[in-house]
Amino acid sequence: MNVVGYLVNAISLGALYALIAVSVGLVFGVLRQINLAQGEVITFGAYSLWLMRSLPTWLAIVLCFAVCIAGSLLLQVAVFRPLRGASALTTLVATFGVSYGLEALWLIIFGPSGNTVSMLTNLNNTVVGGAVALRWVTLVEIGVAAVLLGGLLLLLFRTSLGMRMRAVAEDLRAARLVGVRIGQVVTWAFVLSGASAAVVAVLATVQTPLVTPTFGLNLIIFALVGVVLGGLDHLGRATAGGFIIGFVNSLLGSILPEQELVFVTSLTFLFVVVVLVVRPAGLLAPRSADVERV
Amino acid sequence: MVHRSWLKAAAAVAGSIGLVLGMAGVAGAAAAHHKAAKGKPIIIGAVIDETSTMKPFDQPAIEAAEIWAKKVNAAGGVLGRPIEFKVFNDQLQPSLTRSDALKAIAQGASILWTTCDVTFATPAIQVGLAHHMLVVSPCTGTNEMGPSRFGAPGKLAFSFGNAPTSDGAVLARLLMQKGWKSATVVTDKLLTYFVDVCQNFTTDYQKMGGKIVTQLSYTTGDHTVTQVAQKAASTGAAATVLCTTTTPTLPAFVTSVRTLGNKKPIVGPWAIDGGFWEPKSATISNNIWWATYASVFGDDPNPQIRSLYKKMKSLGEAPQTGGFVTGPTALEGIITAIKRAHGTLKGPKLAAQMVKFHDVPTLSGPVSFSAKFHAVVGRPYRIIEVKNGKPHFVEMLSPGKYAGGA
Repeated sequence: MNVVGYLVNAISLGALYALIAVSVGLVFGVLRQINLAQGEVITFGAYSLWLMRSLPTWLAIVLCFAVCIAGSLLLQVAVFRPLRGASALTTLVATFGVSYGLEALWLIIFGPSGNTVSMLTNLNNTVVGGAVALRWVTLVEIGVAAVLLGGLLLLLFRTSLGMRMRAVAEDLRAARLVGVRIGQVVTWAFVLSGASAAVVAVLATVQTPLVTPTFGLNLIIFALVGVVLGGLDHLGRATAGGFIIGFVNSLLGSILPEQELVFVTSLTFLFVVVVLVVRPAGLLAPRSADVERV
Repeated sequence: MVHRSWLKAAAAVAGSIGLVLGMAGVAGAAAAHHKAAKGKPIIIGAVIDETSTMKPFDQPAIEAAEIWAKKVNAAGGVLGRPIEFKVFNDQLQPSLTRSDALKAIAQGASILWTTCDVTFATPAIQVGLAHHMLVVSPCTGTNEMGPSRFGAPGKLAFSFGNAPTSDGAVLARLLMQKGWKSATVVTDKLLTYFVDVCQNFTTDYQKMGGKIVTQLSYTTGDHTVTQVAQKAASTGAAATVLCTTTTPTLPAFVTSVRTLGNKKPIVGPWAIDGGFWEPKSATISNNIWWATYASVFGDDPNPQIRSLYKKMKSLGEAPQTGGFVTGPTALEGIITAIKRAHGTLKGPKLAAQMVKFHDVPTLSGPVSFSAKFHAVVGRPYRIIEVKNGKPHFVEMLSPGKYAGGA
């Protein structure tokens, strides 16, 4: 595999993590609270694809979106709404508990061995063989992420809903005072977050078809690190952080010598630690936003 | 009138037949009652996982062992004493594992039975060893269930799983036998077991004349499996040996290698047994091989194993991997040790017999232990091949002279 292949694969994994980062960042943007249970929405979506394996692919994907959006809204109603006004730490712990509980639920319902999703398997075929070795799924991931992130930008900056979301993200009280219906905006944030989780579930099961109870958790941990790396309090920076973590991880996996591959995760996290020591507010945050270190 | 007398005659004949059958039944029941074990039960406390990641291994093994115990008990038990399992679900929680082991002992267990991972089982093993009990695991795949991990007290601990030296040796023999004389070795560094198997394979394969083209590795969860698969696909080796288990990285690896045009054999140890993880595409799930304890695909060469599998399936407990036979195997091993120790249940005496096992016949094949190996060495394996998406039994293969390490 050559440099082009390495870079395209790195961009592809970065794109996938950017999508996960968006789903976390959207909720954080309007509520200032981290949803650690977002990984379980992805797992829920992946299991739904397995459950609907006998349906036509398009219908299974549509239903996967419905399942993820419903799951996301359920989290809003069952966890975030009752904890409105609670500290961010309280919600963090609550969503961690929900995540842990849901993982146990998947274990009870689906068992620990995993279930194989076999949709869109043709996307694993190569576009370019030989040294470049590119698969359709990598290009589709990049394309889908570009379209969705572009669409999100349009929604945020060219629509009334986007303006209201930005207003809530900027100052919730002021937005309320000028008549923005906060509940509606928050609901839309969860809908978009659920839809983003569905996209991730579909794309991730193409490359990793065995769905286990920790399917989403494995993805969300890395993505959350990316969100922190980019800068938690800005959707664009959080998304870019997600992209960077995926890109760096994939690139390290490609360029490190075989015997050193075991250090990929360690080196990725070392990179994050160094960045946060130098730029505590995030790699992409303006210098004025740097937080006090003591 | 004729009709009535015919009815009377028929009733008389039916009554006679019923009486004869009834007497035969009573006599049969009496005979069976006489044969069934009546003594004080031998209680085996099984502290296993029935919830989490070890469930696919632990649960079929204990269920098969319980079915086997019923047969043993019906045939008179062990020196007249019935076998009784008391099963505790430790959910792989260390504190629960320890307290369950203590509970089992409080409920009369004389022998402890643990989960098939020595690390998860350690709290229970330590309790058992502290109480000088025989501690067995049906399918732990390392030699750490014994003195190598627990020092001198570990002499009381044994696993009826295969030692990784055996796993590595049988894979090396398989490749050489098939004429695959060069290999790419891919190790998932998640567990020591995978590293041990691949290391043993590498050493044995090279001694047999095989050539290692390259060694690659990843760790489940580090998100590099696709890149590693891409490297493995292009090495030009005759086969790829993959030491991992049925985590999501396994189908991801296989899918990547196949879709990049590499159709050569992918070979793995028992840990990839089962077939449930395979991608559904027949072109991707093709030319995949593994060595295991038994075939769960209805074609095991041993009729007793086929029959046991059918029984478990009829009970809604169809095992996913061939590891289920290690349950009855461990039970047979325990029974042999008790009989050889003249009925005592004292841990040191049972362990003293067990360590002398040499080709003790069991359901899964001959079992041998030694002071060095408290896991099974040299037992023949079932070789399974996945062809066009369908796994099937190919042949029996012994690990040969390198089974105990080269």
